[in-house]
Amino acid sequence: MSLIARHLEENGIPTVVMGCAKDIVEGVGVPRFMFSDFPLGNAAGRPNDESSQAFTIELALKVLETAPAARTTVQSPLTWSDDPGWKLDFSNVEQLSEEEIAERRRAFDEIKSVAKQRRVEDGVADSA
Amino acid sequence: MSDQSESLGFSQVHDVPIPYIHRISSYYQTLGYGKPYEWARYADVPFTPLEKPLNQSRVALVTTAAPYQPEKGDQGPGAPYNAAAKFYRVYTDSIDGEPDLRVSHIGIDRKHTTAEDINTWFPLKQLKRLRDEGRVGDLTPRFYGAPTNRSQRTTIDQDCVELLDELRADQADVAIIVAN
Repeated sequence: MSLIARHLEENGIPTVVMGCAKDIVEGVGVPRFMFSDFPLGNAAGRPNDESSQAFTIELALKVLETAPAARTTVQSPLTWSDDPGWKLDFSNVEQLSEEEIAERRRAFDEIKSVAKQRRVEDGVADSA
Repeated sequence: MSDQSESLGFSQVHDVPIPYIHRISSYYQTLGYGKPYEWARYADVPFTPLEKPLNQSRVALVTTAAPYQPEKGDQGPGAPYNAAAKFYRVYTDSIDGEPDLRVSHIGIDRKHTTAEDINTWFPLKQLKRLRDEGRVGDLTPRFYGAPTNRSQRTTIDQDCVELLDELRADQADVAIIVAN
């Protein structure tokens, strides 16, 4: 999505990216970024919390309006939980046992096989 | 936490934005997948100032979410990662009504969120309210779906070009891009 922001911007359309993966978006480099320090999948606010969603989109609009230069990141002041422990879980090998790693290896092989099948069906990959 | 950091009101050591690039690279290396993914990165970043106030601008919404496809398996809420629901070409659809979009094909945080509320990844309802209140001038008549292609070459050469064409066709002045 960061690549899309860059392309639109290069062609005269101002953008703001709303996202939860700070290092990935900032690594690519985008003009304006409204960062929510939430689990991936909640870039537009907390679930079932309309005031959080209204606050988040309003902040994104303000970033769009007021960013003074490229690479402007604004972090939402909203927090996901009083306990930041959720941040330790995502794809964190330090939290996994040998058995869990083996199970995930098996699951990932399956996902790759399904994705390959989709690409073949969509005609964007051959079946070789 | 040390007595000193607690007395100074510091947050916990791990209460920082998750270092996803490090986490994901380590994760797949540990799972035995050799060559690590090379993340896009640029030194230069383009910047286009707004030409007019938002209350006179037409806003486009770009999403990575996919239209619900009943024949493609569990797409949530609470669905496990579902590669069958992925899509590989840019799509557009009308903003009228309540589009049913899902994120089962995306690497969201499945332990800490369930994707039960579309408004957490697709803020169309809020944008319609802001349009009705005059905070933004208008919305484009369609929203725009961007594939989460693993190939950055495909994203740049195909998806970016097609999205720009679609936004221009709808006379978008600015774009809100929601990553997931």
